[in-house]
Amino acid sequence: MLSDLNIRLRSLFRRAKVEEELDDELRFHVEQQVEKYMRAGISRQEARRRVRLEFGGVDQIKEDCRRARGVSVLDALSQDVRYGLRMLRKSPAFTLVVVVTLALGIGVNSAIFSLVDGIILRPLPYPQSNAIVHFGWMDKSLIPNLSVPEFQFCRDHATSFAAIAGFQDGEDSELSQGATKRWVASASVTDGFFETLGTKLELGRPFGREFTRPGGGHAAVLTDSLWRSTFGADPDIVGRQIVLGDQSYTVTGVLPPNFTFTQPTEVFVSLHLGNSLGDQGMNTDVIARLKPGVSLSRAQSEVRLLGSEFLAQAPPAQRQGSGILHLDRYQDYLSSDYRTTLLMLLSAVALLLLIACANIASLLLGRASSRQKEISIRLSLGANYARLLQQFLAEGLLLGVAGGAAGLAAAVASLHVFVSAVPWGLPATDRIALDWRVMSFTTVVAIGASVVFGFASFFQTRKLDPNSALKDGRTVIGPSHGPSLILNGLVVGEVAFSLMLVLGASLLIDSLYRLSQINLGFNPAHLVLMHTPFSPDMAEAKPSPDVTVAKIWSFERQALARIRAIPGVQSAAVVSVAPLHGQGNIPVQRDGHSQDSIGGTEYRSISSSYFSTMGIPLLRGRTFQDSDFTPSSHIAIINETLARDWWPNEDPIGDRVVIGEYKGHQYLQIAQPALQIVGVVADTKGILLKQPPPPMIYVPASNGLMLNGSTDWVIRTSATAGIDSSLQKAINSIAPDQRILDLEPMSQLVGGSVAEANFEALLMGIFGALALILTLVGIYGVLSFQIAQRTQEIGIRLALGATRRDIRYLIVGKAAKMGAVGVLIGLLCALCPDPAHGLIAVSSSAHGSGHFCGSRAPRSGGRTRSRICPQPARSEGRSHGSTKVRVNEAPRRAMPDTTRIRGRC
Amino acid sequence: MPESRLDLPQGTLDLLILRTLSLRPRHGWAISERVQQISDDVLRIQQGSLYPALHRLERRGWIKARWGISDNNRRAKFYDLTNNGKKQLEAETKAWDKLAAAVAQVLRAI
Repeated sequence: MLSDLNIRLRSLFRRAKVEEELDDELRFHVEQQVEKYMRAGISRQEARRRVRLEFGGVDQIKEDCRRARGVSVLDALSQDVRYGLRMLRKSPAFTLVVVVTLALGIGVNSAIFSLVDGIILRPLPYPQSNAIVHFGWMDKSLIPNLSVPEFQFCRDHATSFAAIAGFQDGEDSELSQGATKRWVASASVTDGFFETLGTKLELGRPFGREFTRPGGGHAAVLTDSLWRSTFGADPDIVGRQIVLGDQSYTVTGVLPPNFTFTQPTEVFVSLHLGNSLGDQGMNTDVIARLKPGVSLSRAQSEVRLLGSEFLAQAPPAQRQGSGILHLDRYQDYLSSDYRTTLLMLLSAVALLLLIACANIASLLLGRASSRQKEISIRLSLGANYARLLQQFLAEGLLLGVAGGAAGLAAAVASLHVFVSAVPWGLPATDRIALDWRVMSFTTVVAIGASVVFGFASFFQTRKLDPNSALKDGRTVIGPSHGPSLILNGLVVGEVAFSLMLVLGASLLIDSLYRLSQINLGFNPAHLVLMHTPFSPDMAEAKPSPDVTVAKIWSFERQALARIRAIPGVQSAAVVSVAPLHGQGNIPVQRDGHSQDSIGGTEYRSISSSYFSTMGIPLLRGRTFQDSDFTPSSHIAIINETLARDWWPNEDPIGDRVVIGEYKGHQYLQIAQPALQIVGVVADTKGILLKQPPPPMIYVPASNGLMLNGSTDWVIRTSATAGIDSSLQKAINSIAPDQRILDLEPMSQLVGGSVAEANFEALLMGIFGALALILTLVGIYGVLSFQIAQRTQEIGIRLALGATRRDIRYLIVGKAAKMGAVGVLIGLLCALCPDPAHGLIAVSSSAHGSGHFCGSRAPRSGGRTRSRICPQPARSEGRSHGSTKVRVNEAPRRAMPDTTRIRGRC
Repeated sequence: MPESRLDLPQGTLDLLILRTLSLRPRHGWAISERVQQISDDVLRIQQGSLYPALHRLERRGWIKARWGISDNNRRAKFYDLTNNGKKQLEAETKAWDKLAAAVAQVLRAI
């Protein structure tokens, strides 16, 4: 063994010496033999000739000796690499095309794979995160969350879980510390939340169940960053009181520094499981940790049973959910909205890589064919096929490594830009990075491609006959069939793949076009949107929401007057939630029709000029007049959809509806008087552009319910420059501390709603274009190579009387034939009914046939969602009717959104 | 050149080389001469297989090489058996005898 290693090392590092010795040894042998013959009386010359004949190729023997000594693989490899580099340097255009093509394929694959890896593959940052599950109702295609009674029922009866917890989206809270105030992002969670996530607190402990009972104490758990930044890492923080909004909370613990939640949160406060409208709506996310040894499917069947038991025993008012109670792995739940898109993008870039590889393979094949002469010489000099294969592999490896490195560099450079361009609210964007998985992915792709290239080149030369090839290198007249078949196959494949990509892109572009054609129901041109969240200043008159509503309305009226005075402003209005900017869904019932009421209706309190400002046409009756804005007027305006749903063959004008009632059950603490319908207006979009307009009811802002005290302002103005600061000034001249968020042109909000479709279509369009270019390069390369090979044949044809037209026909006809076959195969694949095999099937199920991924929320989903959180209600202990119920059909909540704006302005 | 030359069966070349070296160190040419001479010109080792075989045996540690002076006063590479080589020769000889006897027995029996 030692001698083996010794010899290998010696031959590796002292190559010159070893070679010299080999030369000496063989020369000695030759001389001995010559002398022997001479002793037998043969002349020196004749003896030499005879020995040379006997000896055969000296170089061959030397090569065999080298191989016998064992380093020759390594040795030959370094030789091959050097030779390969020389060959590649000699044809820089070829090298550049191959490396750029490969870099392109590998670069986009690495980038998209990073996205897939960060969102789908990598486990959530919690211990045994696979055991964390999320509850939801499987109701039609929607998966709403649970109501508080449903959560409590599951918590009290389920046996499959080690821990179970509910949480609700928080909004910014104002953290007061002495005189200083700052806005912090908060989330409301029940006991068991940190146990479910598997997080051990750094200091103190999580709050117990006593803090989640109505009327119980208020507790808070701080994140490490808040503890350090605001409380100076006070080691005695546990047990201290902090003030959020106008409520004081007892700090029970501090989280470890590396803790992250799916949405940015700085403080977790105790969630009171009360009986408010918000609690009865399906607003509570429920997560649980499976007991060790309990499988998901076992827990699944238990939860399914619990769901039907709950529906059987619950009082009618609590039966919010319908269908089947269902569990998802938390990670699957978080990533489900993006899965289809990501898989579509992943298959698109995989196709692109295939095209790139086919391209390179055809280029290499063509090159190998033109190197026939060189190879023939090497074969006749004693090179064996294995050695040739090794050399081609080395060349392929060089190209693969160069392309891989360039691709990785491209991915590193572009990923940041790419991620920030992604319009979705991604869960934990910071998880998306190029890491070892991507590196190994890239390496595998690059090396795999190299091997394929090497073999591709090699098989081209395998059947080469050294003798005939040496004579002329072009002895074959007419197309040589071996390589041509492979080349033609590659071209056909490329055409098919790029056709699939282009078809996919065109479907997306089509759905984007259809999105742009959707009737919004209002005119977004020259319209500016502004959002003012609820200000604690408005909540002074705590016990009475009416007083708060009146206070807010008086602020709004004064501010509207100031805004209308801004030069350029044509009209201005307020609305509780502007179209595409959120939802505010409450139970509404047709007066006297308790059984056939339809429940959840979008509720908007508006100022009188809302419809004229937005350009929403009045269809029947009248709009609100200034005289309607008195507490004693009980009137409402409904939209077309609501009128059609409830009064299909009647005139709704004059009929009455009751807010806060559903199937005879009263959801509000204070019963509302019936409202008389005075008008019907045209539909506008709800939160999602892609969904049909929801039923909607409008009431005067002076006597509406307090949804959450936040207000959207719509301003139609011809002025654009300086409008932002003018608006800010107008608001703050009346309420100096009022925060202003989301100040943007309405057209931008509309654009944001299609940003996702835009992004997908753009990416697919780019991929499709790249595929087309690559394919064109590939076809050109193959054809020109084949024509070069057939020069003699073409010459003979011309000599025999063929016209240029005939030749052109010959060549173009061949190209057309390959193209046609490729198109046919591409179409067949694209229309393949199995989604696993048909890219188009994936993209069309997501985008085609008028179904625009209905389950996804727009970019602004996180922002808008946060608006309907009952901020004032929570800070007032949910004492009075915070109106936030999504009865049935609440769209699936969006992913926690990192783009969400918190505490700015 | 006698017509009765035989091709060496697979694997026997190593055995012949080891046997040739068992008495004293020799250089490559001497090995091939020796085999030819002892076998009455029946066995002839081609240079194309001799030298790779020598290098292979050296790598396996059965023979070792050193440079010395040949009979006619020239620098030549001499190969010598190592201890491992001696053991290997013994084992291979036994195996060969067994094989040859067995083959002969079968040939005679039928």
